[in-house]
Amino acid sequence: MTRPKVVIDTDPGVDDAVAILLALASPEIDVIGISVVAGNVPLGDALGNACRIVGLSGRSDIPVRAGAAGPLVRDQVFGKYRAIGIFGDDIVAPATMAVDTEHAVQFLVRQARLAAASGELLTICAIGPLTNVALALVQDADVARGIGHIVCMGGAFAALGHRTPWAEFNFYADPHAAEIVFRSDIPMILMSLDVTCQALFTAEHVDCMRSRGGKAGAAIAGLLTRFDRSDLARYGRAGAPLHDAMTVAWLVEPSLFQMRPAVVGVEVGGYTAGHSYADFHGQTGRAAKVMLATGVAEAGFRDLVIDRMARYGKRSAGGGG
Amino acid sequence: MTATPIVIDCDPGIDDAIALLTAFVSTELDIRAITPVCGNQPLERTVRNALTVCELAGRCDIPVHPGCFRPLFREPIHGQFHGRGGLGNAELPEPTKRAERRSAVDFLIEALEAAATGSRLTICCLGPMTNLAVALRMKPAIAAGIERVVMMGGAYREPGNRSLTSEFNVLADPHAAGIVFSSGVPIVALGLDVTHRVMLQPAHVARFGDMSGPIAKTIFDLMAFWDRNDVRRYGSRGGPLHDPLVIAYLLAPQLFRCERARVFVEHESELCMGQTVADWFGKTGGEANVEIATEVDAAVLELILGRLARYDAHVRA
Repeated sequence: MTRPKVVIDTDPGVDDAVAILLALASPEIDVIGISVVAGNVPLGDALGNACRIVGLSGRSDIPVRAGAAGPLVRDQVFGKYRAIGIFGDDIVAPATMAVDTEHAVQFLVRQARLAAASGELLTICAIGPLTNVALALVQDADVARGIGHIVCMGGAFAALGHRTPWAEFNFYADPHAAEIVFRSDIPMILMSLDVTCQALFTAEHVDCMRSRGGKAGAAIAGLLTRFDRSDLARYGRAGAPLHDAMTVAWLVEPSLFQMRPAVVGVEVGGYTAGHSYADFHGQTGRAAKVMLATGVAEAGFRDLVIDRMARYGKRSAGGGG
Repeated sequence: MTATPIVIDCDPGIDDAIALLTAFVSTELDIRAITPVCGNQPLERTVRNALTVCELAGRCDIPVHPGCFRPLFREPIHGQFHGRGGLGNAELPEPTKRAERRSAVDFLIEALEAAATGSRLTICCLGPMTNLAVALRMKPAIAAGIERVVMMGGAYREPGNRSLTSEFNVLADPHAAGIVFSSGVPIVALGLDVTHRVMLQPAHVARFGDMSGPIAKTIFDLMAFWDRNDVRRYGSRGGPLHDPLVIAYLLAPQLFRCERARVFVEHESELCMGQTVADWFGKTGGEANVEIATEVDAAVLELILGRLARYDAHVRA
């Protein structure tokens, strides 16, 4: 089987960093580029972090491109962890690679057109606000035709009350973009907070990454420790979720997840802008093009993340890149 | 005097075609490109019509870059008064001129980035502003390359045309209009407030029936089709010359009176979707972002017709 061509559309972000490293340590997929969008942090910081993480992985051949600096219509908001800014030099070394000059949206349009022509469809792993993807979809009908599916982290259906009482951050940050993507009828795999909050990484798991993952593992452990997302009151137990990494886990090992088809939409205006709904019962009269993850094998997901991080450790132990 | 460098972003469309034909024979304007967008007609048609009009007028030197195939957020709507193919009853051959491979958005980004350090470009928007909005969202810095946007769009003190409150171009992509209005670029807006005052009446059209040559015949056909025949609405026979007013403004701005205001675009209410709400008296505390044309001199009609009459001279020469 040929490896799917994957573009990671991202706003790093700590859990984005884990997702990128997981993807670049996974031979099952062929990451052809990273498109960056403003989200958790401003575009410049997100770009810097993407370059640092790609550099850390030893895969500086993978181009990093700059996309949209803000949402389509609404005022810009950043993540709860905006203070992350650029990852500290003490945790992730400064990047040696430069940002590619092609615009991220132009790259998405170009790759999707090529894919539509060749029939080898593109996978987009979308783990930030969906601004770049939406801007690409508007430009040419072939863009949607060239995208086989979008594996997206976003939304909340039962697990509400993270960024706002009604919305998850990625959809809240650009609800219009999210709704454009859902209305495009591109098949989607959606990792909402409902499933991402089912798998928690405790200090013990983080230590595992630090000890087994070489430089990359140490950096991730450093980030996860400094920007700890544990929330005992919310989760009822120790540990922190790694939201974005679940999209890559689905690409590598889909059997870890339970899925349910749905129609998904996002509220774009009014007080509850960014709120996502799922129609499981055909009430919208639209075809269910979204596979919504409802459950994950927690230990399996954790093992996958830790084992793939450990590959970076083996590489550095072997002296190879 | 050097010609003003412009890009014509449009959705032809009969009045777009008349605007293009007016611009083509105006040496004051240096038309760098035409960027058709989904609007009066689906994109495939607006591109084809732009190519057809270029070919008809012998302006195959102007590159045509295909734009966005749909509005940013809302489902596409199309014009109602342009005939089945968008150019009325005009019988025109399939164009042999081809559209450029590079998209309108890519062209705008590249041209405006270059213009930011050279001579700035005037963007004439005759259709929904999707192309410019997408380009601005991709690269906000291109705003520095825009001398100004001269747009046909909005209804400020006048009621709407496509809906009760809203003019077609803004209604077709209100989110794009909002992005352009809030981008900080200088904007001149020619809305229904002035375009409804410039009626192309049957007597004007008849003049072109007396001219010779294939171009005059096409101009006559386009204009004849444009008659709304709605005296109660417009006060006379004929059709409002919406898009050609943008070209007329570039040629003779002294024929227009403008008032500065901050403009907001409604994009949440279905009833008032696409309404352009002007803050004439600084109520919101926001700075004015648009020069809104509020009055137009009747001489503007002769200006446009005079330019179009040049095609007759071409044929005779």
